Amino acid sequence: MTKVRNTYLLLLVVAIAFPYLVPDPDFWVSSGGSRALWLGVTALSMSFLNRNLGLMSLGQLFFSGISGYIVAISSVTYGVKFGTSVPLAILAGTLSGVVIGFIALKTKGVYFLMLTLAVTLGLYSFANSAQEITRGHTGINSIPSPVIFGIDFAYSKPMYYLFLLIAIIIFAFCKFLESTSFGIALKGVRDNEDRMTAMGYRILPLKMIAFVFSAFIASIAGVMGAFYVTNISPDSVGLIRSIDLLVIVVVGGATYLGGAFVGAALIVVFEAIVQDFTQYYVAATGALFIIVLILAPQGLMGISAQFRRARAKKLVAAK
Amino acid sequence: MTRFVFTLLNGITLAGLYFLVASGLTLIFGLMRVINLAHGAFYLLAGYISWNVVDKTDNWFLGILLGALSLGIFGLLVYLILLRKFQYEELRVALITLGVSLMLAQGMLALFGGEYYQTSIPENLSQSIPIPGIEISYPLFRILVLFLAIIVAIGLWLFITKTRYGAIIRAGVDDTAMVSALGINIQAVFIWIFFLGSVLTGFAGSIGATTNSFGMGTDGDYLLFSLQVVIIGGLGSIGGVAIGSFLVGVIGQFAVGYYPTLSGIITFAMLVLILAFRPQGILGKIR
Repeated sequence: MTKVRNTYLLLLVVAIAFPYLVPDPDFWVSSGGSRALWLGVTALSMSFLNRNLGLMSLGQLFFSGISGYIVAISSVTYGVKFGTSVPLAILAGTLSGVVIGFIALKTKGVYFLMLTLAVTLGLYSFANSAQEITRGHTGINSIPSPVIFGIDFAYSKPMYYLFLLIAIIIFAFCKFLESTSFGIALKGVRDNEDRMTAMGYRILPLKMIAFVFSAFIASIAGVMGAFYVTNISPDSVGLIRSIDLLVIVVVGGATYLGGAFVGAALIVVFEAIVQDFTQYYVAATGALFIIVLILAPQGLMGISAQFRRARAKKLVAAK
Repeated sequence: MTRFVFTLLNGITLAGLYFLVASGLTLIFGLMRVINLAHGAFYLLAGYISWNVVDKTDNWFLGILLGALSLGIFGLLVYLILLRKFQYEELRVALITLGVSLMLAQGMLALFGGEYYQTSIPENLSQSIPIPGIEISYPLFRILVLFLAIIVAIGLWLFITKTRYGAIIRAGVDDTAMVSALGINIQAVFIWIFFLGSVLTGFAGSIGATTNSFGMGTDGDYLLFSLQVVIIGGLGSIGGVAIGSFLVGVIGQFAVGYYPTLSGIITFAMLVLILAFRPQGILGKIR
């Protein structure tokens, strides 16, 4: 346990010192650090669900999209202050989780994956067609950044530290939830629904709370995205972005909470490097994704466990 | 009245196209439990191939044929190289196909650029025919697409319910292990079904490229349509695809025609409503 705690402490120190360690801070603090934290929080909402309920959801961008669009529309179109628009956006995104959860949680496995993908693609087509509300394909540009206590979060360092704080709080809260009796009940549902039902648990409310909580995280990430990218368009919730998010989760390790951030950091670095060589970095990401799925389905975080298991198997076979 | 009939015709003919698009997806899933989420990308690829063939040779039928066949072969390669080994891990296969879709999306953008295309209709099919009762005339080609979909539907139905191969497929859907125990090479059946399903997708893509313009982003749109169709109709059932395409096509067109801003929400509300009562889809079986 202390070893794990030391690792977390080390990571925390590195993350705090990050803006002063990187060679090209103008680029890496924003396009590296803040971007990875934003994507990491989005991915975390997905891995939380996968880890605790065994459900792979492509609907997280739907919640992010709802909250991102609400921030964008209320602040750009109606000039609402972010003190109102941000809570409103997060609330709306979280509540939309109730509606989606109501239909999606009746399904499992690939059905769940398909249904949540359809939900996200549905938002894409809505955002494209509802020109009066979403400004169609061009989207909503120049979303103003928040200013709190005179600190303008449009600058890269304040934004990075704000994102880091949000990420740490959410990550810690997920860890805390998993240690409560609620979290343990969730794992029970994931492993054997029938047994949990027999033990007197009501499955659907348990699943619903977890799902809505993940929608809540995704909504926060949606607000982060709106402030980070400063615009939102249908492509923000399109097919390619949905798969991108999935890549992050799977490459990092879909059954580990930390995998979301590991994956996000890796993909951000990978894309930054590949971008220098070829403009087709999306295809390269796709190739990386397939290779990881074929060779290491547990992702980067799971590689050592995978090796251990393989070695154990060999030992058994040798005997 | 004219507007109503026109919208209805649009909906029904579009439903025909949706049926062609989604039948390949459901055929493969029904037997193999493999869900191909690169389906939209396959559809778009077929569109590009057939457009290019028609552009070069001026032969529309050749374009359709090559569009369908090349996708059949492409799909088969994807199956043999990437999916076959993990066939019984549903989720992993679905995720791999998403990776394929990502690569295809960018590959096609690189090869064909960001412009939109539409294959030209062969001249003898490009007239409009008058619709009795109202003043407008309607493009003949769209009605032909509907008939084509009906022919494919009947053909698939006959193939699955009346032939020996269909019997093998039906048995395979219920119990794969038992079928192979009876001495049938189920692996070979899988290969043929994946080929057939991909050919259907390629065919749909080539036809769809003639009725509607296509380009970057079309893959996501048609993946959405097919998912809506199979989710509503019930995954794995050809009849379900027919019902699903009808609902998505007709209700979608009325929504676009009468409430364009809300069209996305209306289709979505229909999906939610149906799933609230039948989570497995209208004709889907609970497994």
